[in-house]
Amino acid sequence: MNRARGWRKTAYHVLLWVIALIFFAPILWIIMGAFKTTDGILAVPPQFVFVPTLDNFVDLFNRPNVLRYLGNSILMSSASVGIAIVVAFLAAYAFSRFKPRGTSFLMFMLLSIRMVPAVAVVIPVSLMYSALQWKDTYFGMIMIYAMFSIPFSVWILKGFVDGVSQRYDETALINGGSRWHIIFRVILPQVAPGLVAAFIFNLIFVWNEFLFSLILGGRDTTSIPVSFSTDLYSDGGVDWTFTASMATVYMIPPILSILFFQKYLLVGMTFGTVRGEV
Amino acid sequence: MATEIRMEKLRCAFGQTIAVDDISMTFPAESVTCLLGPSGCGKTTLMRMLAGLQDPTSGEIYFGDQRVTDMTPSERNIGMVFQYPVVYRGTTLFQSVELPLTRDKSVSKEERKRRVEDILEQLNLTHVAHEDVTTLDNATRQKAAVARAVARQPQIILFDEPITNVDVAAKVQLKRALKGLVKQHSQTIIYVTHDQTEAMTLADEIALMDNGKIVQRGKPRDIYNNPNNRFGGWFLGNPGMNFVEHTIVNHDGGQHLGAPLFRQPIPLQAVHGLSNVVVGIRPERVNLGEETPAAVKGVILRSSLVIGGQYLVSLKIGSTMIKAKTTRNDLPPPGESVWVTCPLEDVKLFTPAGERIDMK
Repeated sequence: MNRARGWRKTAYHVLLWVIALIFFAPILWIIMGAFKTTDGILAVPPQFVFVPTLDNFVDLFNRPNVLRYLGNSILMSSASVGIAIVVAFLAAYAFSRFKPRGTSFLMFMLLSIRMVPAVAVVIPVSLMYSALQWKDTYFGMIMIYAMFSIPFSVWILKGFVDGVSQRYDETALINGGSRWHIIFRVILPQVAPGLVAAFIFNLIFVWNEFLFSLILGGRDTTSIPVSFSTDLYSDGGVDWTFTASMATVYMIPPILSILFFQKYLLVGMTFGTVRGEV
Repeated sequence: MATEIRMEKLRCAFGQTIAVDDISMTFPAESVTCLLGPSGCGKTTLMRMLAGLQDPTSGEIYFGDQRVTDMTPSERNIGMVFQYPVVYRGTTLFQSVELPLTRDKSVSKEERKRRVEDILEQLNLTHVAHEDVTTLDNATRQKAAVARAVARQPQIILFDEPITNVDVAAKVQLKRALKGLVKQHSQTIIYVTHDQTEAMTLADEIALMDNGKIVQRGKPRDIYNNPNNRFGGWFLGNPGMNFVEHTIVNHDGGQHLGAPLFRQPIPLQAVHGLSNVVVGIRPERVNLGEETPAAVKGVILRSSLVIGGQYLVSLKIGSTMIKAKTTRNDLPPPGESVWVTCPLEDVKLFTPAGERIDMK
């Protein structure tokens, strides 16, 4: 009985590993490619044993625009998500505590913004941005990403704020705290895991975003995803060493974020609902 | 400085539901008043109005001579401890207690430290003072919440069922700690609870609440021994008072009480206009076993041992069921008869509507 269960468990784990490796294969291929020469990347059959080289990275960072792409991605994602988290936290607090009329409907509307396909929105937004002269500006890009990050953050954070008993607010009110004191000194530390989760989720979304960056951005605000389309071809073909090394660099921040903050991401996925009162 | 709390026609309604119904009363300074009543009777709403967390529909609240009805909670100079311990994530227990004091510019840093250390020592919390407060158990967190309320030295402290959510051992410990604090600090304390044992042990005075009204107020023993109405008799005691309806019989030109609880007619006064009264007697006042001139025969239905070495006995007298508490362990088995005496001095009379009738 126990033996049968042991076998089943082992088989299950083997299956999990096989599936994980299948999904991981393209990532492994691109990372390996980053350390190969162009011939090595295109070799048939693929080379699994080779002499690694850092030339591709040296070449990558010597290209005139790469550091700007990287800087743009870092700036736009962190600034927009930072703004979104502050706005979303205040909104979540208001929805949770003051329960304005139509809270449920507003929450539904917020979520439905995220359901709208990006291509349906991008053209009118592009026209609006042209009229406002916000195209290819950091302000414009940060605003559009903040707008997309706010709804999901409000949803995550409202769950967390709901999980903090109103007695916290009332104790602070009685002890002489102002509403700002309650929000930032009392409630904020209680929902810190939610803030981290919302921050990471949205950071990854903005970091990966391509369509809006392509349509609304431009030379000054090119982000890494768009750089793949603009710098992909050189000398009449696909620049595989650029693609592989850029993709590897591009992967590092999300992987590190998930590695360091995975426990918050798991908490965030439950929208804070596993926390009881206390 | 402790101060009295005065309410004038205080009322709070939520739509059609009246949570607090025109209460006019004064809770004395430097004493512990327990608001005791069943869940939903309005005691927490009354407390929240005193704290400024709930606006009254009408009426006034005064702390001493000062009208506080429209003041914000922070302007009222009160402390409050809730049912669930409120502690702040990312702080030590010491910091959690100190936090409200840091906002009070009139308290120097040294004074602040001294006050927090004193209160932690009184509550036996010094050994965990520098531990992360979220790693501590519920009872310790609740002690921290109590310490925070007391350390500010407000004129009034409100406790809203503070020991309901801790385990039995911690309950005893917290109760003892609260008693000690109350003695030392002489603040005006309002303590909301639905637990009569808590109220009996902690209160200088109990205000018994039912349906949004304070139905009786007095010292714990007085309320227990002389309930104003059937509710008081039923709610206090475990189990509550026995109530048996009696028809008043006219005998020898006077009014008398007879069966089922009394063998011989008992002369009555001052029940004119009533044909029925309700006799109330606490289970522990019902005597079992001895045949006396007033005793009636009852059949034992069941008997069970309860805490304190007493037996709780269910009896049937005629068609009437009553409960008795006794320490006698030589009672006959269920199904057998036993003599039951209800001493007159322990009997309370109520009108059929539930109001107490003075027997003198």
